[in-house]
Amino acid sequence: MEKASARVPLYSRLVVALPAGLFVWFASMVPSVAGGEAQFASIGWLPQLGVDLAFHVDGLGLLFALLITGVGTFILLYASEYMRGHPQVGRFTAFLVAFMLSMLGVVLSDNLIVLFVFWELTTLTSFLLIGYSHGDSAARRAALQSLIVTGAGALAMLAGFVLLGNAAGSYSLREMLAGDSDLAGHPAYVAMLVLVLAGAFTKSAQFPFHFWLPNAMAAPTPVSAYLHSATMVKAGVFLLARLNPVLGGTDEWGMTLTGFGAFTAVYSAAVALTRTDLKQILAYTTLMALGVCVMFIGLPQSRGADEVPLGAVAAVAFVFVHALYKAPLFMVAGTIDHSAGTRDIRSLGGLRKAMPWSLLAAALAALSMSGVPPFAGFVGKEILYSSAIGSTYGVAATAAIVTANAMIVSAALLVVAVPFLGQSPATRPTPHEGRWPMWIGSLVLGVAALGAGLFPRLAFEWLLLPAAGAVAGRQPHFEASLWHGFNLPFALSVVTLSAGALAYWQRNRLTGALGSALARLPVTGDSAYDWLMNGIARVSVVHTRIVQCGIQRRYLLIVFATLGASVLTTLVVKGVIAWPARIPDVSFVEWLLAILIAASALVTIRSHSRLMAIVALGVVGTGIALIFLLHGASDVAMTQLMVETLVVVIVAMVLLKLPGFRREVRQTGLGRWRDAIVSCVVGLTTTLVLLAVTAEPSHRRLTEYFQKTAVPEGFGANVVNVILVDFRGLDTLGEISVLALAAVSAYTLINWRPRRSARAAARSKAFPEAEGAAKPETLS
Amino acid sequence: MELINAALVGVLMASSVYLMLSRNLVRFVLGLALLSHAANLLIFTGGGITSSITSRAADGATAESDSLAQALILTAIVISFSLFTFALVLAFRTYETLETVDTDAMRAAEPEPSGHPGRTDPSGRPS
Amino acid sequence: MMDLVFTANDFHVLKPAVVLCLFGCGILLSDAFLVRRTGKRWLNAVTALVGEAIVALVVLQHLSDVRAGGAFSGLSGSIVIDGFGVFFNIIFVLSGALAVILSVRYMEAEGEHRGEYYALVLFAQAGMSIMATGNDLVVLFVALETMALSFYVMVGFLRRSKRSNEAAMKYLILGAFSSGLLAYGFSILYGIAGSTSIEAIGTAVAERPDGDWVTTLALITTSVGLFFKISAVPFHMWAPDVYEGAPTPTAAYVSVASKAASFALMIRIFLSAYGSAAESWMPLLAGIALITMTVGNLAAVTQSNLKRLLAYSSVAHAGYILLGLVAANDAGLRGIAIYILAYVFMNYGAFALIAALRRDGEAAEEIDDLNGLAGRAPGYTILVAIFMLSLAGIPPMAGFYGKYYIFLGLLREGYYVLAVFAALYVAVAAYYYFRIIRACWLTGSGDKPAALDLGLGTRVALVGSGVLTVVIGVLPQRFLALAGESVLLALR
Repeated sequence: MEKASARVPLYSRLVVALPAGLFVWFASMVPSVAGGEAQFASIGWLPQLGVDLAFHVDGLGLLFALLITGVGTFILLYASEYMRGHPQVGRFTAFLVAFMLSMLGVVLSDNLIVLFVFWELTTLTSFLLIGYSHGDSAARRAALQSLIVTGAGALAMLAGFVLLGNAAGSYSLREMLAGDSDLAGHPAYVAMLVLVLAGAFTKSAQFPFHFWLPNAMAAPTPVSAYLHSATMVKAGVFLLARLNPVLGGTDEWGMTLTGFGAFTAVYSAAVALTRTDLKQILAYTTLMALGVCVMFIGLPQSRGADEVPLGAVAAVAFVFVHALYKAPLFMVAGTIDHSAGTRDIRSLGGLRKAMPWSLLAAALAALSMSGVPPFAGFVGKEILYSSAIGSTYGVAATAAIVTANAMIVSAALLVVAVPFLGQSPATRPTPHEGRWPMWIGSLVLGVAALGAGLFPRLAFEWLLLPAAGAVAGRQPHFEASLWHGFNLPFALSVVTLSAGALAYWQRNRLTGALGSALARLPVTGDSAYDWLMNGIARVSVVHTRIVQCGIQRRYLLIVFATLGASVLTTLVVKGVIAWPARIPDVSFVEWLLAILIAASALVTIRSHSRLMAIVALGVVGTGIALIFLLHGASDVAMTQLMVETLVVVIVAMVLLKLPGFRREVRQTGLGRWRDAIVSCVVGLTTTLVLLAVTAEPSHRRLTEYFQKTAVPEGFGANVVNVILVDFRGLDTLGEISVLALAAVSAYTLINWRPRRSARAAARSKAFPEAEGAAKPETLS
Repeated sequence: MELINAALVGVLMASSVYLMLSRNLVRFVLGLALLSHAANLLIFTGGGITSSITSRAADGATAESDSLAQALILTAIVISFSLFTFALVLAFRTYETLETVDTDAMRAAEPEPSGHPGRTDPSGRPS
Repeated sequence: MMDLVFTANDFHVLKPAVVLCLFGCGILLSDAFLVRRTGKRWLNAVTALVGEAIVALVVLQHLSDVRAGGAFSGLSGSIVIDGFGVFFNIIFVLSGALAVILSVRYMEAEGEHRGEYYALVLFAQAGMSIMATGNDLVVLFVALETMALSFYVMVGFLRRSKRSNEAAMKYLILGAFSSGLLAYGFSILYGIAGSTSIEAIGTAVAERPDGDWVTTLALITTSVGLFFKISAVPFHMWAPDVYEGAPTPTAAYVSVASKAASFALMIRIFLSAYGSAAESWMPLLAGIALITMTVGNLAAVTQSNLKRLLAYSSVAHAGYILLGLVAANDAGLRGIAIYILAYVFMNYGAFALIAALRRDGEAAEEIDDLNGLAGRAPGYTILVAIFMLSLAGIPPMAGFYGKYYIFLGLLREGYYVLAVFAALYVAVAAYYYFRIIRACWLTGSGDKPAALDLGLGTRVALVGSGVLTVVIGVLPQRFLALAGESVLLALR
């Protein structure tokens, strides 16, 4: 994919100045922030919503900003070399910078809604970056998967933010942190917690949402190194840390975070050992690191409240340590891939001679990762252990973190020792060291990890303690040092290192056992995601087939069914079904008529003969005319009789030219029953509504008005006629127009013969299925 | 009396709905005719009926079928007649053009499953 | 009795509809006597646009009147010009003008470029204008039917296309049913109140006992009639067939303007006439909204035809907008307004791109037809992305604020479950909108790729919609203020 001869475009080198400059700018804020003065800037944006573009730099935000810009500087430099010769370097660089800026927005926003907007921007840019190799279907799938999972979480989180803002009375984090509103006692506290955690857990890939992160490794390596180790996935951790003083301190918070974090850490550390792709191993160790951070943010400390908030310090320190070692390891993995052509540890080995600088960088990072003194990783691990020991869940938490760390030691060995120190396979092309931009960043970060371990006071005083203070909500008094003496944490460190080394030595047996255990898991996150997505697709297809079948009849059925059912339900629920106590006096004639009409209606339905159906229809019409007559509506009855006669004549004329019922395609038995039930419901509903209506007193104001004024104003005794030709004469004119219009339309329709233009013929060729239903015309 | 008329309206309504749900266009048209009968009777009954008394204002009668409802029904009868005729001619023309009265066959939208509904882009779907 | 004198004020409140009808008739006449002889059919479109411009001026005049002196009414109170009506009239002017602009090239290409089409666009808009300002059941019903009849014809305007004819037929039959039910509901309301004025009905409904069955019956039948028009489930079946069959600009017009007008009518009736019966319609609307979102979003996932996909997505959007009415508070109603405003631009934009997509002169409407667009027309691909992101409701695009306000409204009323469902469906929606964006970058399969056939008008409309989608997203203040103005008056 790359041509070594291709020139690196100048802009992709120059753009490195942006994060570097930002880094220096943020670094210049360190003294004042460490002194307890947070920086704040705000621009009005949506005053109606209480949303301002407000940014707030405190210890926590500053630590993340420095990591984002610092690591970003080296990543951009690395990417300029890694993507050399790629046709769309410009776009890639632009996405990467856009991502970096969005990420800065997330960690520096003071307003929750603004934070959400930036959060979604990171989701979007990460979608673009993961799916960057859009020719690769795995990359496209991974991109969409990460978008769906983190996007869905983020939307739930938005709902949580809105609840939080409503409860706290402001969307401003500063005001929320300063205020002492008792959110834990709020009735919607659990809802807020669940919604916010949904956002944080999906973003930071906590179990059971962890599956998207390893899949996202389909992205180009600089993206994995940046987004999926050092920054984007840390956004969830950041959010938890940020909201810890607001939402934290409750049992729900502590148990959820500790439980999910610890499980994620142990589970993914175990999975890491079973993988053979360098990037996959690193991805799972990243999951472990995220789990550890989440766990320690939530870990409740058993000692008194005035003691040091060790959990916060441990989490912050681990974020820092992890960024310093994980980014170099990813970059080295990319360099190996670049020069050796593979990332599979089974076919790698003996790179130490060809790639000395990469080896050095990787070794520094791996030592820090394993927690070997005097690296920063060691300091971080000591704090983790002492915090775990002092927590409410002492033994369990300690066991979990020691187990996870031991496996991580083993993974670190796997990542570095195997490719660099092992036997070199003969078949591979000669590997070569990458150019300087590909290893300088890893080396600097590795050295930084060493430096931070040698001078822990410096790192803690200036960076980590202010950040931990923001997480805990109060300033911790903590003396950081490399050496704490021979105590329990140190003993655990020794245990960890030796267990890790042992596991590495016995790695074949161990991975075999772990692999077969993991293969026995009935459900994995990935398969659940597939199941969900396939399920949605299946539901969609079924819906289309059943409801959206394109058949008008079916649409009508649904309409009738819904309407009938809803009205019927209303009538039943409201208890308006008033069945008369006794059958009222109905004359014999009326009974006879009713039975006759009903029977004829049924004949119309059931008849297999057109003629019979037409006659029955005529009987219905005539019967109704007789009902009108019985109740004194002689005009109506007359009209009805005349119209009915005409109808029967016309129907007989036209209908007999149409095919008979004998050859018709009838519905299946089931379909007929379905139709029958729906029509009975509609009929019953009509009857009940009508009965209920007649039981209500009716307004006859208009009728009375017409009756009073018919003679004096309309000069006619027949009120019906007066209404039609006088009071509502215009309506009658309209009625006549309708009649005329119908006649004209019918006449036109009968005489019209469509001409098929050449264009329409071409169209029917283009859409064969559109015309498929119609048989060729023979009449025209 | 209301009871028996209401029941009759129900029967007519049910029959017309059943016919309109039929696959056969001819039956649909018959259903339309029954629907207008049902509607007329519904207005008539809903307007309030009593015994057989003419609707003559001069008689000064107090109780009678609602003359307003009657006027409305008169209009409705005529309109539904024109609608019915038009529908009948339309059905006839449809048959002439398409040579079928099976409404299920008269569609271009959403053809049967062999067509595109449910077809998805395989690369977008989980594999 | 009614005051039968037609005053200057009556004319003033009716001005938008009058101007539209006059221009509509003018187009019919000039098309018959002038344009057909010269063969310059675009003149009809120009006439229509001049009409829209004049209506726009009238509407702005109404806006300043309302801002200066509050709402005013005419025709014995059967038309009310308030912030609500003015806001929707702005929406209608925008969508009418966009429909005209987009139609020129499309109808030309389909060989159906006739003057009646533009006249129908204006007639439909006249109906919508009254739908948003009417305050009397009869007026509202007549307005609704004016709109609906124009749309029936417009949907079937491609006389030679079977799909277009079939769509018109389905739309007509189902539409007639819905109108019948609506009329039935209105007649019950009249029965309750003995008046057709919305205020009088509101008072009469409030006087009925709680949970009165007559009110509920009226509610159900009117809602069913209106659910049809906004294509809420289970009365949405016409939408995909109609969108697919109709000329694409008409599909856009139906999906945006007809929906907006029906929502305007719905909001006025539900809040003013049924305002006191809120407990009985809130669960009904909430249920319908939830089903509508579910069905719309899930069904859209597997569509391969762009117009059908947008049809289902517009069903889903109707569900979201309904949720605003469920919340029925300031945030919810403001959300509806801003949602519809954003919807105008993003949906027209999306439909405009589909309308312009052609292969060998034939309309290309499948998602796969977008393949390779990124290489051939990168600028328009960015527009595709903007419209789709906005439709999905992803910040910072215009579509975000409508959803956001509606969430806000729901959460303030304590509808947590509904809000979370609404939020999660955004993720499902993102799934299918991103399929469209992604299709632009995929390489096509061998045969001749579809190309964009853009007239000058379409270009301007497209870029304008794209820019506004982004501008509303990034600097929403003024637009939110306008939307807010519409709502507070509607709530009264």
